Amino acid sequence: MPQSHTLHSFDQALTNLRNTVLMMASLTERSLDNAMTGLFERDSDRCNVVIADDEEIDTLEKTVDKDGYDVLIRFQPVASDFRQVIATMKLSNNLERVGDAAVNIARRVKKLNAHPALPEAKSLEPMYAEAKAMLKDSLRAFTDGDMEIAGALKPRDKQLDRMNKDIANQLTEAMPKQTEQLRGYLNLILIARSLERVGDHATNIAEDAIFAKSAEDTRHSNPIKV
Amino acid sequence: MSSPSTTAEQLAFDAKDVCVWYGEKQVLFNINLGVRPKSITAIIGPSGCGKSTFLRCLNRMHELVPSARLEGHITLFGDDLYAPTVDPAFVRRRVGMVFQKSNPFPTMSIQDNVVAGLRLNGIRDKAFLNEQMEKSLRLAALWDEVKDDLHKPGVSLSGGQQQRLCIARAVAMQPEVLLMDEPCSALDPMATQKIEELMQEIKRNFTIVIVTHNMQQAARCSEQTAFLFMGKLIEMDSTEKIFGNPSQQQTEDYITGRFG
Repeated sequence: MPQSHTLHSFDQALTNLRNTVLMMASLTERSLDNAMTGLFERDSDRCNVVIADDEEIDTLEKTVDKDGYDVLIRFQPVASDFRQVIATMKLSNNLERVGDAAVNIARRVKKLNAHPALPEAKSLEPMYAEAKAMLKDSLRAFTDGDMEIAGALKPRDKQLDRMNKDIANQLTEAMPKQTEQLRGYLNLILIARSLERVGDHATNIAEDAIFAKSAEDTRHSNPIKV
Repeated sequence: MSSPSTTAEQLAFDAKDVCVWYGEKQVLFNINLGVRPKSITAIIGPSGCGKSTFLRCLNRMHELVPSARLEGHITLFGDDLYAPTVDPAFVRRRVGMVFQKSNPFPTMSIQDNVVAGLRLNGIRDKAFLNEQMEKSLRLAALWDEVKDDLHKPGVSLSGGQQQRLCIARAVAMQPEVLLMDEPCSALDPMATQKIEELMQEIKRNFTIVIVTHNMQQAARCSEQTAFLFMGKLIEMDSTEKIFGNPSQQQTEDYITGRFG
């Protein structure tokens, strides 16, 4: 744990910022979970919750940005404090995008649920499990400053990209055999693509975690150096 | 005395193993620090860390304290400042100084303040003195504000103007280095901004070493920053590195407000 700041109000402001973004992370994870459970259990009510919760996620993003600006203006932090504030603001931006991905998934699931079930929907389970785990791990890397976990995210994202490609190929091949379900297959392909985007955001969060901890900018480099 | 190394010739100041005592009390411990020419080097650290003492060692002003004693070597562009043959007054001509509180000579006019050092050194050529006076006041970004009041007392100016007058007085001597000991601590933000802009202007011709408690000022103005703590140099690096990602935990703790 870092030593306390001599200015108590600064510590308080940093704690508030961190708590808000952690609340946002928790809501975002829940939205993604609701959207995908809505798919696997054909539960459109869960999808409606995702769409309704998005407003709160958007509001929290604005709160994090405002609190972040306030900290920058009032305390003019430097070094690790500065990086922490910047990385937290970027984290909230990535979480908001994950929230948007959850909403996209929820909207497509509602359309899918209005038609007979597609057995191929189950094929998205491993991809969802990995995207969810990546998001959770990236957040752990951020909160705990765990560079080992953060460094592993980029290769995992490549794996997620391959899973997305495989699912798209598999569903494209099934399309000619089930022409009446073309829209359904297309929605599944786009849901897989949203999961792939979740992986991208988890990777971004991991990169920001590395920046916050070590000041190293690992974006657009392959693989991540820890 | 040791002959200056190649590195020392490239540096404005090169301090090697500098230790200073006031009486029995040691206040600086083996300071090794290089100052690049025509750049701004900031020295930061908490009160009593020895930063002003170190600054004064750079033009031998610490010798004005009778009990002060220095060991180690400091060279200015390769010349040993502490060689037995070197006259401290000559060192101070090469190394000008601006203090925390502006200190224009109270009985002198603005123009006499600027050229006081030159007159003290025996220069009587009026044309030359006038030329130097205008040049120095322009360099100190004060000329436009005082050109019609050159005969008024220096102390009639505002605090910020007085500080710029002192800078003009210092640069009139055409020193190689300007030492600034918290030059803006008594000034309002606008006057501070003017001094900071002035520093950027004059670093084209002079090397500047500034001691400041204002870390934002150090971050804004300097290229290199040194952090002193309890008489020791903890870290010196590019200002970007010091305020972005310092190597030493003590530096990080100090600049982020967590004393180590």
